Order: sequence, then C-alpha cells, then structure tokens
Amino acid sequence: MQRIMLHLDRCNGCLTCTLACAAAHSKSGHIIGAMMEGVQSRIHIQSVKGKAVPVLCRHCEEPACVDACMAGAMQKNPVTGIVTNDGNEQSCVGCWMCIMACPYGVIVQSKDGTVAVKCDGCKDREIPACVEACHTRALEYMDVDEFAAVKRQETAYQLAKPAV
Amino acid sequence: MSNCKSCSAAPTCISAHASINQMHDRTQSLGIDTCFDRYEAQQPQCGFGMQGVCCQLCSHGPCRITPKAPVAICGATADTIVARNLVRLATHGTSAYTHHLEELAKTIKATAQGKTPFSIGDVHKLKEIAGIVGLDINKPVNELAEQLADVILAELRKGADEPLALVNIFAPKTRLEAWNKLGVVPGGVLSEVRDALTKSMSNINTDPIDLLLTVVRLSIAAGYMGLVATITMQDILLGTPSLTTSEADLGVIDPDTVNIVAHGHVPLVATAVLMVAESEEMQALAKQAGAKGIKVYGSMCTGQELMQRSATSGKGFAGQLGNWLTQEFMIATGAVDLVMMDMNCSIPGMKTVADRFHTKLVAVDRILRMAGVTDHVDYQPEQVAEQAKELIRMAVDAYKNRGKDILIPTNKSGAVAGFSVETILGALGGSLDPLLDAIKKGAIKGIVAVVGCTNNRNGHDTKGLTIMKELIKQDVLVINAGCMSSAAQIEGLMLPAAAEEAGEGLKAVCKALGIPPVLNFGSCVDIGRIGVAVTVIANALGVDPSDLPVAASAPEYLEQKAVVDGVFAVAFGLLTHIGPVPPVTGGPLVTKVLTEDIESLLGGRVLVEEDPVKAAQAMVAHIDAKRAKLGI
Repeated sequence: MQRIMLHLDRCNGCLTCTLACAAAHSKSGHIIGAMMEGVQSRIHIQSVKGKAVPVLCRHCEEPACVDACMAGAMQKNPVTGIVTNDGNEQSCVGCWMCIMACPYGVIVQSKDGTVAVKCDGCKDREIPACVEACHTRALEYMDVDEFAAVKRQETAYQLAKPAV
Repeated sequence: MSNCKSCSAAPTCISAHASINQMHDRTQSLGIDTCFDRYEAQQPQCGFGMQGVCCQLCSHGPCRITPKAPVAICGATADTIVARNLVRLATHGTSAYTHHLEELAKTIKATAQGKTPFSIGDVHKLKEIAGIVGLDINKPVNELAEQLADVILAELRKGADEPLALVNIFAPKTRLEAWNKLGVVPGGVLSEVRDALTKSMSNINTDPIDLLLTVVRLSIAAGYMGLVATITMQDILLGTPSLTTSEADLGVIDPDTVNIVAHGHVPLVATAVLMVAESEEMQALAKQAGAKGIKVYGSMCTGQELMQRSATSGKGFAGQLGNWLTQEFMIATGAVDLVMMDMNCSIPGMKTVADRFHTKLVAVDRILRMAGVTDHVDYQPEQVAEQAKELIRMAVDAYKNRGKDILIPTNKSGAVAGFSVETILGALGGSLDPLLDAIKKGAIKGIVAVVGCTNNRNGHDTKGLTIMKELIKQDVLVINAGCMSSAAQIEGLMLPAAAEEAGEGLKAVCKALGIPPVLNFGSCVDIGRIGVAVTVIANALGVDPSDLPVAASAPEYLEQKAVVDGVFAVAFGLLTHIGPVPPVTGGPLVTKVLTEDIESLLGGRVLVEEDPVKAAQAMVAHIDAKRAKLGI
C-alpha cells in the first residue's frame, strides 16, 4: 500500500509542496493560476522554532473524520484507501465534525466556508503533486513497508557505526 | 511569542530591552503587527533561500540546487549561484555607501560656496586630508574644501582600471601587498559597481572564485570610500566627534514637546533641523501649539552621528531612541510627531504603526520612498535651511493632532559617545602608548569590534549584548558601531560604571582612564573609524592588522551594507564573526573559501557560530593565539 511518507529531517521549509498542491487543485492547473484563484493548500507546513514540519492527512485505516461525518460525505475508498469528502455520493454540508474529530488538524474549511477541504491523495495522478514537487525528497510516495525497510537499514547503519 | 513568558529565555526572546518588550505588549494589545509578529508569520523560512542556492536571474528559472537537481538549467553549480548572489548583495551595499558619500561631497561643495547653513567643522582634518591627497593646503579653507570634494567625486567616478588613491594612501603597506597579489585593489567605486553587476548577470561570470574576488574588491572599495572617506568628509563638514554624554532608550521621549525623530544614516537634514529648532521663530510655533518646546531625537545611525557630535554640530540632540528594530515601537509610544527618514533602513511596517497614531513620516532623501508616504522634503544642500523649518512646521502641525493614547516606557540609560582615534589620543595625552602598554601587559587582552545591525532571529540585540558582556568579562575591550551601539547604550554598557562587569585587567584600565569597557565609535559608517584605529595601532606596533589581537563581530547582521563591511573586515586581515549564518552554506567551495582558505590569502576569515558565548570564546582564543605569536 502506497502512502505519502515523510522524512522530517529533510524538509527545509521551501513550501513548494503547498504550491504544487494548490496548483493540482486549481482550475488552471499551474502555480501562478492557483495563486490568482486563491486555491488553498491541503498539505500544511508548520513551524516549530523555525524548523519546518509538514503535517498531512494520513488517510487512516479507521478514520475519525469518516466516523464523525453525519452526512456520510467523508468516505474511505475501500480500494485505494484514500479518505475524502469529495466526489462521493453524499455531499459535505459543512458541519465541521470532521475537523473536530481529526487528531492531526489537517482538515480545514474551504475559503468560502461551505465545505471541509482535505488531502484527496491527488486521485487523478499517479504520484501526488506534493511528492512530485518536493526538492529535498522529504516527501516520498512509497509502499509503507518499503519505507520501514529503508528506515530500518538507516537505523542498522547507525547502530553498526562504532563497530564497523 | 507573547504566550511564552514562563520560559527562562522569555525576558530576551523578543528583545533584550525592557522598553521594547513593554512596547511589544502594547502593540499586540492594540492589534498592531510588528517585525516580531511578522517574523513568526514568515516561519518556516525557505531552506533554499537560507542556503543561497536559489537563482532567479533568467526565465529558465527560478532554479534551486537540490539533491535531485545538483545544477541549474544553465549548468551553474551551487557555488556559482551562491557566489553570484553574494556579489549582488555586496554590490547593493557598496552602491548605497556611494550615495551617502556623494551627498556629503555635494554638501561640502555647496557649503564652501556659502550656500548652506553649515560651515567647515574640522579645518585641521580638511588640511590634513587635502595635503595627503596632494592639494595645496595654503589655499583658503573654502576653496580647499571644494577641491577635496571634487577629488572624492572624481575618485568615485573614475574607471575600474585606475586604482583608488585612498586605498594606496590609507591602507597598511602589508595589506596593499596582499591585495595587489590577489589583484583586488579596486578602481573608481561606481565603475566597480558597474563591473560587479555586469559580472553577476546570467552567464557572464560563472566562476565562483572570481566572483568571490569581486566581492573582496567591492568590499575594499566600500571600505576606503564608503566607510573611511565618508567618515572623513563627515568629520570635515560636521566636526570630528568629541567625548560627550547623552542618553538612550525610549524613556528619553518628552511627552510635552514637539517630537521629531531623525531616522536613517545621513545626518545632514537632521543637523540643519537641530540648528534651527531652538530659534525664536520655531519655538514660538511650538508654544502656540501648546508644546513646551521642540526636541530632536535620534534613531539608528543618524542618531549616532548626532550623538557623537552633540557637543558641537549636534548640539541640542535630545537622545537616542534605539536601533533598527525600535523603529515601529518608537512610533507606538504615540508621542512621536514626525519621523525624518533619510537613506536606508526605513521599513514599510513603520507606516502601519504611524497610521494608527498621528505620526507623520517624511522622506528627506530623494532616493527614499514608501508606499502611502506623500510628504517628501528631498534634501538639497542649498535649500536645507528652509527645508529644516518646513519639517519643524510639519511636526508642529502633526503635534496638534496628537492623541491621548500615549505610553512612554520609563527606561533610559546614560552613554558616553564620541570615541575615535583623535579622542582616544586626546584622552591618553597625545600618545597611544598607555593603550598599547595595557595590551602588551595583558590588562587588555585584545579588542573586538562588535558592530553592524540588529536582528530578531535570536531576540533583538540579545546575541550582540551576550557577546559584548562575555568579551569584557574576559578583558577584551569592545568597540561598537552601528545598531550595536544603541544596544550597548540602552543597557548601560557605555557608561564608565559598566567597568564593574569587566574582568579585573580591563576594569582597572577603564577605571584609571574613566572610560567604559564598551567604546562608542558611533554609526555603522563609523566602522571606517574602527578601521582607521586598527591601522594606527598596527602601524604603531609595526605589524600587519592580521597580526593584532583583534577581531570583528557582526553578531546580528541584517542588510547588504553589512555584507561588504563583513568582507572588508576579512580583507583587512581580521577574524570576522558573522551572526545569522549568511546565505552561502549551499555552496561547499564558497563556504570553505570564506571560512578557511581565505585566511592564507588575506589573513582574516569568516567565523560562523550561532551560539553567542561560543562565538565570544572563539574570538578570545583567536586573540590569545595572536598574542602568543606576537610574544606578548
């Protein structure tokens, strides 16, 4: 199962992912157009004492937002695993239950305040726009187990360093 | 940031000054955003920009050097981009200095022709410098002054292939040798600026080493023309600073007077305003408006210029309000009626605060403009007497609109001002020997110039003050110029009593001479005055500046003039600590050259250390090493 995975140490806060996200969700499809349309980013870069920290939807296996959605608009796609309130049978009514339920704070109001907006995993793209745009490879779209394998190898390397 | 009062760093994480912390609370409660708030809003800041590896020169770009794109579209490496960006920063700084110098040269010419309210303030220095540049010093003073101004203007404008006379005249011979070897002795400054800007266009000069040499060349041009020539011409016009006392911090603001702030770097309009403020005509205007009188305060370097001459041409100066980060907060007191903005460092944020109160912002230099500011009294030497009156009338009108919402912090401190080679020699009875003896014996371990801007990246003035206090504790005499002067003044480090905070050796010297452990050399162009002092010491000891137990620190550097100042200090042979890491770290070669290799070529190098205590320790270690090498 592929997910957007994060190497926190690699993020240098350039915010390109936020621009790419906005572009991918704009009418024009490009960055300047998205800025003129005022499209918001669905990936959020927080700052902790100046250190950039990307915070993005994890598309949880048991999504609190889906449980909380009384309109039934927020759904987890059983095939792709993507959690979204967009393009489903029921429409978002803007009750903000999902915003209150999400433990990560990654669901926000649309600019006109009518619906909830969140990462939709870039349904129509092979690789999410934010990952594609990331220059430092802080964001990677990869198999979750493969990510763990890479991490494990890094850890092994650190552990072995004094010995080899 | 306002919610973090429980942390141990809370008293200083906004500002090292109680007055500014108090005013920041006020601006926050009034809903006014200031630099500190906007800084938070800008977080996180882009790592590519911080590392200097972003190039926006051509329309293929912007390009950034990243793990997946190690070269730009044109093929430029990180080092090329970083070095080229550095050239552009240095060009900006050098260019700005030439504006200041040109304004002075023009003013001296107009003064010599009797067209300004000024008169030649230091005839002795005029004759000394005129003699050195080869003029006939028996000519009448005004004629000589005009000729010297013409020499300086010609130096500014001559070709890049004609070496600057002032470099040959003033630089220590050992420095000249080093610079000639590298081919970095500059020609006319405006030509150097043209060449540097041309080189830094896309695809003209893409060799990082040659670009770095261009930065060095620019910095020497800026050092001898922008700094040394500017302070010399300023001394000739307004008088060489003399030892005097003044006050600093927002507590100097008088709620009962018409309050004018001179803000910026070029003290010409401000001096003219001071000259006329006490006149009956202007006083009557103020009194008719219900004020007790008129006061002229200083902000940033214009204030420092007035303060160090407050016994002579700056007479009547009412005190220094603060430095770069103070500008919004002085207006937020509600008791500033008019700000005269000359040349650089007037931030748009000032207008936001001014709009909340009654404060009138006026541009007093033709090159300064700010969105929303419609009052321009562009300095003209021939008209400045009338312009000064016009500015006071505007201030009185603004005073009439002053509201009741006024909060002036009570904090203020005294400060001794006016140190220079001349005043030090005067205080020591005409010889440097007592100072040199103190250095040789180790009572004074060495000297560090803590200079340049202020920056809120680590708390306003927090880092600079930590370094100063750490250095004096270790018997290192500190010299200030620029925004760092305000920092030390406000915290009382420029009072003789501050000797108590110094180590035993330095304390004894300060007490014997009645001087503070932190000497106030004035504004940021007065870094030139420090250069002159180091030259005098090096010549007296018969060594190169790089052999001296001396270092420089710009712990909170901010803008482009500081970039050339920093490189000039390196070119001058000094270990130069630079506070916020400059945007060069993305270029491995450039970083290595500036922090290591350059030492073998120029004697100085850049020291990058974010921790202020460690930075001070590194500078003390450098001083100890130089002492050992000198055998003292």
